[in-house]
Amino acid sequence: MIEIALAGNPNTGKTSLFNILTNSYEYVGNWSGVTVEKKVGMLNNKKGHLIDLPGIYSLNPLSRDEGVATRFLIEENFSMVLNIVDASQLERNLYLTIQLLEYGKPVVIGLNMVDVAKGRGIMVNEKKLSERLQSPVLPIVARTGSGCKELAGLLTNEEQENKPLYILYGQPLERAMETLVAKMPDAENLPPKRWLALQFFEGNEVVHALLKTMMPEAELQRIFAETEAQVQSEEGAKSLSYHIRAVRAEYIKGVLDVSLQKGEEVTYTLTDRIDNIVTNKFLGIPIFILFMYLIFKLTFDWLGSPISDMLDAFLTGPLTDDLTSMLQAAGASAFIKAVILDGIVAGVGGVLVFVPQIMILFFLISFIEDSGYMARIAMVMDKTLESIGLNGKAFIPMIIGFGCNVPGIMAARTIEQPKERLLTIILTPLMSCSARLSVYSLFVGAFFTQNQALVVLSLYLLGIVIALTLAKIFSSTILKEESSMFVIELPPYRIPQWRTLMRNTWEKGKGFIKKAGTFIFGGSVIIWFLSYAGPGGLGVDMNKSFLALIGGAIAPLFEPIGFGSWQAGAALITGFLAKEVVVSTMNIIYVAPDLHTLQGVMAHHFTSLSAYSFMAFLLLYVPCLATVAVIKKETGSAKWTWFSIIYALLIAYIVSLIIYQGGKLLGF
Amino acid sequence: MVLTDIKAGGKAKITNTEHVNVLVRRRLLDLGIMEGTEISIKRILPFGGPFAVEAGGQWVGIRRSEAKLIQVCHS
Repeated sequence: MIEIALAGNPNTGKTSLFNILTNSYEYVGNWSGVTVEKKVGMLNNKKGHLIDLPGIYSLNPLSRDEGVATRFLIEENFSMVLNIVDASQLERNLYLTIQLLEYGKPVVIGLNMVDVAKGRGIMVNEKKLSERLQSPVLPIVARTGSGCKELAGLLTNEEQENKPLYILYGQPLERAMETLVAKMPDAENLPPKRWLALQFFEGNEVVHALLKTMMPEAELQRIFAETEAQVQSEEGAKSLSYHIRAVRAEYIKGVLDVSLQKGEEVTYTLTDRIDNIVTNKFLGIPIFILFMYLIFKLTFDWLGSPISDMLDAFLTGPLTDDLTSMLQAAGASAFIKAVILDGIVAGVGGVLVFVPQIMILFFLISFIEDSGYMARIAMVMDKTLESIGLNGKAFIPMIIGFGCNVPGIMAARTIEQPKERLLTIILTPLMSCSARLSVYSLFVGAFFTQNQALVVLSLYLLGIVIALTLAKIFSSTILKEESSMFVIELPPYRIPQWRTLMRNTWEKGKGFIKKAGTFIFGGSVIIWFLSYAGPGGLGVDMNKSFLALIGGAIAPLFEPIGFGSWQAGAALITGFLAKEVVVSTMNIIYVAPDLHTLQGVMAHHFTSLSAYSFMAFLLLYVPCLATVAVIKKETGSAKWTWFSIIYALLIAYIVSLIIYQGGKLLGF
Repeated sequence: MVLTDIKAGGKAKITNTEHVNVLVRRRLLDLGIMEGTEISIKRILPFGGPFAVEAGGQWVGIRRSEAKLIQVCHS
């Protein structure tokens, strides 16, 4: 088994290539120490692993997360690097390539987007490029898979020599590197010493930390300062890192001179034209809102609900009938029958019916992400977000949060400023995720049949408005930001690829199904049991069950906000496990075999106003268990984790109080 | 002259980025935007919003406050 690292700039088609070269994920987790997702896939020929490094521009990291790639090169065992480069942005992409070549492990270069480059009048002579870089270069189009088979053929175990690329950095720096190399101990598993020395002089913090374990920090600083002074005086450079960058840029220019032909420059006119509309002065924000509205229409009214109804009909009809007769035939006791039909089928089935809607939502979010529109949204929103102490990039985690808060919070890592990132993390849970959607669907189906999409949209907007208001409050009080930054790459628009969309949708959506099979399954059994048992023994009247006792204990608290029943209290407690469990709990509590019966029963327990107040409370009160866990992981702070739970509870109560009491005053 | 003096659709050459925030400068450098780079203004968002600029086929969005600190000359 060989280990191959996949490296490249962001937005170069790395994920597409990864998906084409591998069939399945061997492992998806996090890189140790940081929260960047680590993906390892099995190559299609089953002869090696492909390790997806985060997209980076340089091995010298700007943020902590970007250090992952450098740390990988230093610490882990691998036999070669697959470097994907964007042919239309060769000059910038080669900057990383040079650093990988200097490292010395065999590098195979996948020259991606040759079609885009051609469209812009850029012709790359891959033979000449390969000769100059002394590494195989293969033109590919990762989006369509063209050339990828040949590329996979190069990823073999054949013993290849390590032959680092050797660029001369001028007398003073070369001398200093020699000195530093001589001071390094002869340890095994050490990366190439010259590469370490060079990265150190470039200011690479990760390498600096490694060298500190070998020699005194004072000595390192002395060498660095002396060398910088020499380079400044002898080479006339501003700093060491500038000098190194300039030498590399010069080298790259030499490579491109022989391997690149620029024809007539055609800028991407289609992107220009689309941008004219979607980032238009007046239309930009309305278009974005229209987009979101269409997404909700598709998810609920047009596509999602009909499919969910069909699934519901199947689960409560044929499936329940078959199960009942099977249990009958097997001679199951009344207890077992009750567990399965009233507990598991009602609980798990009640949640599973929302899978189609959730999948559609994930699909549409993936579409926005892959099309290039997401970066424009960030830009359109930047000014607004800056005024409340965030930057445009904070909008991306929030939109992803509509699918599920967990990946949304993880997406906040693209935000460079620590405080802006923290603020985004603690506010993303206010974005109404698809699990909450299942609860809304239940309620709007019962109380707001005429305006389903509109009522749901209002809840989403409520979440956004509250998040933005709190951002302003937090950023001007507890999280004052000294300087905010915003630089965003605007990739050309492209039509997302089916393969990637489907895979992304599945990867995100399957967690939901898995949850239904484990968490909600177990939860349903427990909730059912608590509703079945009571101080008086088993099979008691539900109003005298343990669940009624527990729910009843906190119910008075909810009286002022419109739903002081023990059922609502119990449902909200269980909702902390996962918000969709509220639906399971209600199915069990109201002993409703299917959605329509449940909605009918609920009409006796809620009014339209208290239903809306309940939905608003559910939207805002404590993030679910999985989200709390990811907040803890991302912030690394128990204090902020508690903060995000407590402020949410307070806000939820206040908002619901205003809705319910205000609504009553207005005569609803 | 600074970048914000250029109108949408106009071009300029960067002469100095020293006053720009360190993190922003480093990110622009990663994207191939530095002293000597030819840059064109693609879009200017309203109400003091960001600038979309293009350099070497690469489109980047930056804030107006940052664009004000980038010195340029006519190319």
